Amino acid sequence: MLKFQNVDVSIGKTPILHDLSVTFDKGKINTIIGPNGSGKTTLLQTLNGLSHVTGGNILLEGDSFLKMPLRERAKRLSFMPQFRDSAPNISVYSLVEHGRFAYMGFSRKMSDEDKQAVQKALEYTDILDYKNRMVSELSGGLQQRVYLAMQLAQGSDYMVMDEPMNYLDYPSQREMFDLIRNLVGQGKTIIMVLHDLNYALRISDRIIVMKDRTIVGEGTPEECLGSQILQNVFQCEVDVINRSDSKQYFFI
Amino acid sequence: MNNSSVNKTGFIIGLLVLGMLFLMMLGLVFGSVNISAKDLIQIIAQRDKTSKYAVILWNIRLPRVLAGVLAGCGLGCAGVLLQGVLNNSLASPNTIGVNSGAGFFVMLSMLLLPQNLFAKSLMAFIGAFVTSVLILVLAYFAEKSRITIVLAGITISSFLSAGMNLMKIIDTDITINSTQFLIGSMAGVTMKSLYYPAVGIILGIALSIVLSKALNILALGDGVASSLGLRVNLYRVIFLLISSMMAGLVVSFAGLIGFVGLIVPHICRYLFGHDSRLLIPTSCLMGAILVLLSDLIGRVLFAPFELPVGIILSLAGGPFFLYLLMKKGGRRVNA
Repeated sequence: MLKFQNVDVSIGKTPILHDLSVTFDKGKINTIIGPNGSGKTTLLQTLNGLSHVTGGNILLEGDSFLKMPLRERAKRLSFMPQFRDSAPNISVYSLVEHGRFAYMGFSRKMSDEDKQAVQKALEYTDILDYKNRMVSELSGGLQQRVYLAMQLAQGSDYMVMDEPMNYLDYPSQREMFDLIRNLVGQGKTIIMVLHDLNYALRISDRIIVMKDRTIVGEGTPEECLGSQILQNVFQCEVDVINRSDSKQYFFI
Repeated sequence: MNNSSVNKTGFIIGLLVLGMLFLMMLGLVFGSVNISAKDLIQIIAQRDKTSKYAVILWNIRLPRVLAGVLAGCGLGCAGVLLQGVLNNSLASPNTIGVNSGAGFFVMLSMLLLPQNLFAKSLMAFIGAFVTSVLILVLAYFAEKSRITIVLAGITISSFLSAGMNLMKIIDTDITINSTQFLIGSMAGVTMKSLYYPAVGIILGIALSIVLSKALNILALGDGVASSLGLRVNLYRVIFLLISSMMAGLVVSFAGLIGFVGLIVPHICRYLFGHDSRLLIPTSCLMGAILVLLSDLIGRVLFAPFELPVGIILSLAGGPFFLYLLMKKGGRRVNA
């Protein structure tokens, strides 16, 4: 599991988060939700070095994450950033190859194992047909799958994603939803921020609710609904529709 | 890269190498005095070093052609690195002030140690490096705003240009050399003045090619790069060091012909895509081609009078670059 212990975070010289403790469970989908400005992204970005941790500890399965060399970090935890406004003008294959950077020696030559990992990632995200295309020429939904493939090629057990379904059209959102959902079956641990509450409740094993830069609640989706914490934070009512294959949530 | 793209890469690079060699040949043959192909072969075959043509060939043309290759390669490569490191497609040795930094220090060394070639090269490197570190620090405090970096570069450039002009006034002896120096020219380059720059530039290109994968990853942004396992700040400094070394060394023998560093990476990105593994070698070769061609035009257009290469580059390269920008139309020119 990934454990934050009394963590203080600053961006630049401005303190953002103070004395924050939270645990993300292994082999589960952990989703952080909260209104804009609640500190979700700041919290996640302690994991890719963009937010500066000034106090406390982050433990990845008992090892101090902040003291780990970057390469070891990259092998154990990967990070998909928020949707990018400019996609790189390189081929899909080259971008996914970047996921193997931490494994390559100084010559940066790909071993057979690296090639296999890239191949598997392309297959899982179903973008083999696009591997020679330029990333910048693809639709937003495909680009997001390419980034997921790069993250998968990294081969880490922990996968962090910052709003992986933002700006995608409905079919692409559903594809992403299924791809992420099925990752847990491969032993991955997912830690992500989602804006869409319906998706968050449907996909997650655990929900962490943030408001005003603190954590105000956590638990299974049912627990969060039962305790009225979601309804209070987002000032809404929730209707649950039970369908044969899934639950759907409506926010009123 | 898979097999088909490896083949394509080989083809592109091969073609550019041929283009460069062809221009080098033309550069040896044409000038205010034309050497015929027959004479050229004869001079090389007979190891002739004394005839009139041979003296021109070995002492004037050859150093000049080699200087063109070195300058083009160095600036093209430095441009790719700077645009990658600063994540800014407007960055180049002259727009961010690296060239004027080198220029200022070179003029300083011409003033203080007129005959010392090593000092000249070293000072060029120091000047370029100090300026680029200054830019990096400014960029850091400006929260990496792209416009701020360029504005800061322009400001530093004009500050250092004022310094160069001041030196011209103080010591009129410098003035004779400095006109060509400020425009950028390879007239009067000697073999001796190329030794140190050649070592540095070749080393720089080799390092850049070895590290090109890291440059690709840097282009994805700090967050992605560090989560992929790249030590972002360390590599930034390494690339900055390499690019300022190359840009500075070029300034030491060819003066301020920085424009190449801005347009070449754009031309190559437009033609060959953004992958640094292809972008670095093609930018080197394309830079060499552009400098050789401009120098050749400058020598033959009004022969026996010569135009400095810097003038031709800006006169011909400028409109060509604008044309490329227009032609791209909707597609953004981006790093």
